[in-house]
Amino acid sequence: MDAIQLDHVSKIYHVGAIETHALNDISLSIGEGEFTALVGPSGSGKTTLLQLIGCLDKPDSGTVKIKGQDVTRFSANKRADLRRDSIGFVFQFFALVPVLTAYENIELPLLLSGVKPAERRERVMGLLRAVGLEDRAKHRPDQMSGGQQQRVAIARALAPRPVLVLADEPTANLDTANGQQAMEIMERLNKETGTAFVYATHDPRVISYARRVVKMQDGSIIDAGIAA
Amino acid sequence: MLSKLWVLAYRDLWRNSRRTILSMTAVALGLALLIIMNGYIAGVMDESVQNNIRLNTGHIQIRASSYNSDDMSLQWKDLLSEPDQIAARAAALPGVRAAAPVLWAGGMIATINDSTSLQISGIDTTSAFYAPIRDSVVAGDFLAADDRSGILVGERMAKSMNIGVGQDVSLTVVDSDGEADEGIFTVRGLFSTGIPSYDEGTVLMPLSKAQAFARADGRASSIMILLDSQEATDSVAAALQSPDTQVLTWRDLNQAFLQTMEAGLAFYYILDGIVILIVAVIIANTLLMSVFERIREMGILAALGMKGRHLTQMLLLEAAVLGLVGIGVGLALGLSGVAYLTYVGIYIGDIASSAGSGVALGSTIHGRFVPGTFAGISLSTLVIVMLSALYPAWYAAHLEPVAALRG
Repeated sequence: MDAIQLDHVSKIYHVGAIETHALNDISLSIGEGEFTALVGPSGSGKTTLLQLIGCLDKPDSGTVKIKGQDVTRFSANKRADLRRDSIGFVFQFFALVPVLTAYENIELPLLLSGVKPAERRERVMGLLRAVGLEDRAKHRPDQMSGGQQQRVAIARALAPRPVLVLADEPTANLDTANGQQAMEIMERLNKETGTAFVYATHDPRVISYARRVVKMQDGSIIDAGIAA
Repeated sequence: MLSKLWVLAYRDLWRNSRRTILSMTAVALGLALLIIMNGYIAGVMDESVQNNIRLNTGHIQIRASSYNSDDMSLQWKDLLSEPDQIAARAAALPGVRAAAPVLWAGGMIATINDSTSLQISGIDTTSAFYAPIRDSVVAGDFLAADDRSGILVGERMAKSMNIGVGQDVSLTVVDSDGEADEGIFTVRGLFSTGIPSYDEGTVLMPLSKAQAFARADGRASSIMILLDSQEATDSVAAALQSPDTQVLTWRDLNQAFLQTMEAGLAFYYILDGIVILIVAVIIANTLLMSVFERIREMGILAALGMKGRHLTQMLLLEAAVLGLVGIGVGLALGLSGVAYLTYVGIYIGDIASSAGSGVALGSTIHGRFVPGTFAGISLSTLVIVMLSALYPAWYAAHLEPVAALRG
């Protein structure tokens, strides 16, 4: 079964009287365990597509299925449950909760899922080890570098053991070395956990990590690529 | 989950510590103001009523059915004909500390240089009812029951008329036959109760002398009854009912003052409302600003699967922390203020004497601890703080994740 299935998905934004067709009749399947890059210039619809896949927004037409479930008909609460249990997010701007430590940020989705304390601790410490930040467990975001914050965000995205992780320009705010490190961690965890990763980028160095590249332009997919 | 929401709420509050402290200060000062204001009003009301009971009205009075206290009639039909028997029956009831006949007459006091109108009270000088007067004698002696020519005068009146102990003064009264009678009396002592309206307008003499002077023939205007406990008023009053008399409780006797105070209280209730409203606006503003500053963060929390109700809980917890800390500080400040008012008081000098004879306030007014009222105000403040957090919480709960992530 595909992890994600999009059928004839369109999304239009209305700003005043102006209509912007962000996505035009998109159909796309992403299998379990894929490591896929969505590439295209700014305004091509990458972020909108990630938001629809991530159940953060609803399409104006078409269907989005996650593990076979049509999520376009889900209520806000059910979509929140799906995000909590099945989808991890990594954002361009790191997006950690500033008042929580690295440990607490990774623990947060597990608390929302009702995971027992002992298992929570085991999973959080395991993820901190996996991203090489065991010694930063008690640090708050403002006490860590951008690269470290993004690694915490990757660990947080994987904490609930999701079906897929969506990353929107995950290296855009990182220098080359930190960007490379973040991509290597994502690639390694994709292989270790079998979680599908879909990330948006227009950086050729970041695209090179992908085993499948989906090319977008003006709200349409111009090349769906082939899963390696 | 709730414990983590507490952590989030608490830490979020201290992101902008200055704003949080100012908001808590607003709650604290608002509550402190309300507590002090209500403690002060309760003190003034209670002090005035208790002073009136102690010096003027007692807890209960028995009068002839036709007696009207406004004109202090001395006509026999308006007086009690067997006051001693009535007083003895009242004194025998359980819960009655003292029961004493009194005769009131309007009159005038005059010296060579000055004169003024006043109330003459013929009192049972041996009754425990007059212990407060006995204790407040500041010069000379209290009256003996068989003193046929002595009077007690308030120190303030004595000063204003330049009267001293041992001095003779002229008293004039319109007697029960409607004729003016004049007598020369000697000032035996001066009293100072601390209640200007009483000390400026009252002359006391033994009951038997007053009855003779006013030609009341052993009659009395009223039986003054003092109880061990104010709470027993209604039961004792019920036991004293009889067809030929009227039985008045301290509430009836202080009705004008109580009604005036209750009307005045409406103003204070409005003030209470304004203060609470200001606190509510400040809290709502603080939380709304806090939500606006964290819109993107709330989008992140929503992306992680946090539901609207969790965001609502988080904001309400922030409001609860703001409210509870503010209320704690406000209670400490307010109770300190009430303690000062209660044990030290505010000196108001002669202001009370110009407020009328119904207001029996001394030159220093005191507050009073009213725990029920203070608890009610504190609870109301907490409820208002929580209510004022509802809109920011609702706003946060209804943020669209995508819009929130854009900030």
